[in-house]
Amino acid sequence: MKKQLIQLEINNRVYEVPVNPRDLLVDVIRKKVGLTGTKKGCGQGDCGACTVLIDGAPVLSCITLAIACQGKKITTIEGLADDRGNLHPIQQAFVDHGAVQCGFCTPGMILTAKALLDRNPQPGEAEIKRGIAGNICRCTGYKKIVEAISAAAATISKGVVK
Amino acid sequence: MNSRNFSQVGRSVPRIDGPAKVKGEAIYTDDMVLPRMAYGKIKRSPYAHALIKKIDYSKALALPGVLAVITGEEAPNKWGIVPQTANEVALAVHKVRFHGEGVAAVAAIDEETAEAALNLIEVEYEPLPVLLDPFASMKRAKEVRIHEEAPDNILHQAEQLFGDPDKAFAGCAYILEKEFHTSYVNHAFLEPHTSLASYDPQSGQLQLWSSTQVPHYLHRQLSIVLEMPMNRIRVTVPAVGGGFGGKGEASSADFCAALLSRKTGRPVRVTYERSEVFATNKGRHPCHMKMKIGLDKDGYIQAVDFDNTLDGGAYAGWGIVVMFYTASMIHLPYRVPNARARVRRVYTNKPTCGAMRGLGGVQPRYAMECMLDELAEMIGVSPYELKMKNAVESGYRSVSNLHVPHTEFKKCLQTVVDKSGYLEKHGKLPFGKGIGLAGGYYISGTAYTLYLSYKPHTTVLIRLDTEGGVTLHCAAADIGQGCNTVMAQMAAEALGVRYEDVHVVSGDTELGTFDLGSFASRLTYASGAAIKEAAKQINDKLFEVAAGMLGCRADQLEVKNCRFYSTFEPDKTIPWEKVVDVYTNTVGTLTGIGHFSPPRLKGIDLSRGARVQGANIGHSPTFGFSAQVIEVDVDVETGKVRVVKVTEAGDCGQAVNPMSVEGQVEGSIMFTLGQALYEEMKMDADGRMLNPSLHDYKVPTAMELPEIDSTIVESYDPTAPFGVKESGEGPVQPTIPAIANAVYDAIGVRFTELPITPEKVLKALKEKKEKEKQ
Amino acid sequence: MYLNHFEYYAPRTAGEAFELVGRLGDQAKVLAGGTDLMLILKEKLIKPQYLIDINGVKEFQGIAYAAGKGAVIGAATKISEVEHSAIIRDKYFALYQAAGELGSVQVRAMATIGGNSCHASPAAETPTPLVTLRARVVIKSAAGERQLPLEDFILGNRKTVLGVGEILTGFILPEPAPRSASRYAYIGLRNAMEIDAVNMAVNLVLEDDGRTIKDLRLVMGSVAPRPLISAEVPAILVGQEFGSELVGKAAAAAAGEARPISDIRASAEYRREMVAVLARRLLQEAFDAAREV
Repeated sequence: MKKQLIQLEINNRVYEVPVNPRDLLVDVIRKKVGLTGTKKGCGQGDCGACTVLIDGAPVLSCITLAIACQGKKITTIEGLADDRGNLHPIQQAFVDHGAVQCGFCTPGMILTAKALLDRNPQPGEAEIKRGIAGNICRCTGYKKIVEAISAAAATISKGVVK
Repeated sequence: MNSRNFSQVGRSVPRIDGPAKVKGEAIYTDDMVLPRMAYGKIKRSPYAHALIKKIDYSKALALPGVLAVITGEEAPNKWGIVPQTANEVALAVHKVRFHGEGVAAVAAIDEETAEAALNLIEVEYEPLPVLLDPFASMKRAKEVRIHEEAPDNILHQAEQLFGDPDKAFAGCAYILEKEFHTSYVNHAFLEPHTSLASYDPQSGQLQLWSSTQVPHYLHRQLSIVLEMPMNRIRVTVPAVGGGFGGKGEASSADFCAALLSRKTGRPVRVTYERSEVFATNKGRHPCHMKMKIGLDKDGYIQAVDFDNTLDGGAYAGWGIVVMFYTASMIHLPYRVPNARARVRRVYTNKPTCGAMRGLGGVQPRYAMECMLDELAEMIGVSPYELKMKNAVESGYRSVSNLHVPHTEFKKCLQTVVDKSGYLEKHGKLPFGKGIGLAGGYYISGTAYTLYLSYKPHTTVLIRLDTEGGVTLHCAAADIGQGCNTVMAQMAAEALGVRYEDVHVVSGDTELGTFDLGSFASRLTYASGAAIKEAAKQINDKLFEVAAGMLGCRADQLEVKNCRFYSTFEPDKTIPWEKVVDVYTNTVGTLTGIGHFSPPRLKGIDLSRGARVQGANIGHSPTFGFSAQVIEVDVDVETGKVRVVKVTEAGDCGQAVNPMSVEGQVEGSIMFTLGQALYEEMKMDADGRMLNPSLHDYKVPTAMELPEIDSTIVESYDPTAPFGVKESGEGPVQPTIPAIANAVYDAIGVRFTELPITPEKVLKALKEKKEKEKQ
Repeated sequence: MYLNHFEYYAPRTAGEAFELVGRLGDQAKVLAGGTDLMLILKEKLIKPQYLIDINGVKEFQGIAYAAGKGAVIGAATKISEVEHSAIIRDKYFALYQAAGELGSVQVRAMATIGGNSCHASPAAETPTPLVTLRARVVIKSAAGERQLPLEDFILGNRKTVLGVGEILTGFILPEPAPRSASRYAYIGLRNAMEIDAVNMAVNLVLEDDGRTIKDLRLVMGSVAPRPLISAEVPAILVGQEFGSELVGKAAAAAAGEARPISDIRASAEYRREMVAVLARRLLQEAFDAAREV
């Protein structure tokens, strides 16, 4: 099968990558673009570790074709901190609230949380739980993650950082 | 030193690896790429039990891009985490014993080619009868033998007798005897096994990066399988995406990566698919338990008789350890003056069972805590009263010689009962709502290495100079539990600096000093002891220098908040860094090295074979304790059990990092809630797993998160470094029985088989109704 | 796990899409959300030579509503758009509920309402309420268009009436009757990420008296190869005043109609019992809601 050169816009930068049509977004991001922050936990769309944002929506990159993402804006975990390396309020809240243990679910969890807060800036506890139900975390028991997202929502709504 | 004086220990500081992890910059093994790296894949057996007649991989080798193929015969040395029962091989030799066992492995220039090559390997099998049930396995052993050296299909069996339980039962006023069955569950850590090996043909050195909890034991196994001295192998642990025991021994990914790298002279990485994680399992042993408990007329436990058949799956793994742990775990956290345990660990043609968070404790705890609940009802007292009455206290020594130097278990029970309103609610809630209480405990480290040795279990090297500041070296593996942060806090405390000033170099057998690994909740205690010793050596030197600079006696100095002070003249003070400068400029780099060896018990000498009735397992320098009250809602129409609230109190000694402790506790509860209600690996009659995905192997999601109210009870173990104990495995112990007891309180049915699924609940409710009609 | 090789097409217009499906025939698969298709491609259950990605075709997307006429939902509309649509929530509550329970937030952002029916899994979420709400599917090809009720579109497990060259382009939902309400529920082990052991939707229309059932549809999912429309429940309840005794009878009848199988998710017996439980609950909920309209 002949590879095609496609353009992917990831974290506001355009990458030209040769892909086969069958190549999955998670593999292209990790192996061809080299952004390994996106994790692969199950490869079957069940765990949420591979979540990236596409045009703002949380998408499972392990069951998405890379070739189908041309012309779209992809955000990975590496695109969340600002240009000077300051953490996004959700990232900061995850650190401060002990919402990180092994860290493998963390990138996907944070991006899912970002999509949630973009849609619903002040979610209640039940809405947060529902929002992250597709992201499996086996370490934390979710409690500190829910707390961190709640705290991040408060920080963002105070307008300290956008 | 008591806890009130700590400045670095006892603080909820953020983890030192937190920022890298939230930015996606932490490097896990599968994130690594080395020059000329090749990709390895493992061909797996479609039979659960079969002879391998022939493997033809010529077509695979001929595929362009394929670099090498290996089979089991190229590395037939048997490995095993327990050397006495080592019976695993890198890839199957002559015979497969479970569905999904590796039979060959391929290295290719890219992953696509490696995957394609697997399909070109032709394996001829002669299927054998498949044994999936341990009782059938024992019964049919004459006709179907899984391992040649185990004629009964039993890995090991043992009987332990302490006191005279038969006589004690004869005098008991209350006796209860029941059977319990636990399910076949997997860790479901999020990062699949992955291993990257780089063998240098010129130097004969191998470096292996692996997602492992036990760099040291992996190091040993590699040495055995590869027939290379350990000093030619270096094991490095990058960030690890969870382990929970599942990465507590080597995996075939490690061996195949290493063997393929040696064969090709290139770095080779092997990363499992999720289905391979399930296929290679090493999860919790399903236990088929009979337990008998006798109480005297006043409700004091007089005897426990325990019989356990463990379904071990295909190989030995941690099996013998888990088996003896289940026997050992009946001796605490209640006083048991007479006890007998008969235990056997049986081979079946299933993916092997192994170590899983709280190993050996979870199953007997389930039985015992449920039975005490039932006994309390028989006597007519609250389960709380019965448990408090029998709970152990500091200084207790069990008949099996487990010594508890310190415990706040009663305080844990009291706290959860008070905070949850258990006494007001238990037995009084409307039908369908229930509340249950359970206690538990776990070891804070082990007493012995898995191989015969009395060497120190952990060594910490602290290096100090002007240029590098404080660097702590230890080959401990941070698998997400946070040991790097906790070690930094303890070192900072001991040296009088801030935890941010301590650089931790861990997870590497070359850069780090010796450590046994992350299991048995051993690291905080063990590394704490070694840190104290290493820091003392450093402080002794610095105190001399500081004393000279301040013009006072060294033994009248204190170090805190990065300054040396005179104890008696607080005005005499000097910044810590200045003292380090002076030391470095005159003497050079300063090092301190500390070792931790667990305290030895009198009368036990492994080298002479003097053990506690065949096993010293369960001996630990100290123990952590936990109690939980769990409230449930049972939908009596659908049978669905929903955990509404968990009230937990834990005795983890001095919490080094309370936020981390909470994380361990909350994680433990959700982890075990899954086993209680949802999780189960299911097999068809041929031993093929029916649900090898996170689709149908159902771990709790955030939607299952109940209200969790956890308390770290005030505790300080005076025998422990910084007063610490475990916190990552004790809190898994009470969850299942607390749920089961709550379900009983809700609907009047005692569940003795896991998981407690809606179907089982509904069936039990119907049977109960039928009975009530009669 | 790699997918088999295929050629990828991303038509931008409906015309291009029809041309492609017509030309490539049964060697092609239409890619919508991919949440089901990617999995069966990974399992190598099918090995298409071509994938036609219809996500770029605007005509297949969106929710349009005209008062008194009903709604039209494009087949490539994301489940998340259905879930967050005020009009769907307002008029077609059962569909709103089912959309909100499907998979995870990620799956809902990817999956399409048309894909959920075309994949034709017996456990699918949205076909159940769609059939209940008397949705008709619009099937188009280069040659023309046909419409039929969704229940006639899904033939069984992974089987639909879609012919070579045809694409499911949308659903037409009739305007809900006055004094009507629809409700959906499912049975699963956990409260998220479930493949339903049983699901069900009810649409109930009341007479002006607010007590008598004028019309009713109850559809069961995951208890037959395709959405199962109860014949007996309407026979028992329509024309009658709502009451718990009749509801009990109707629930038992629904359970009798179900044709579940046993698999790793649930036994047939349990599924059958859950049909009765869901029927009782949903009939009550829909009745209560219809009285409020």
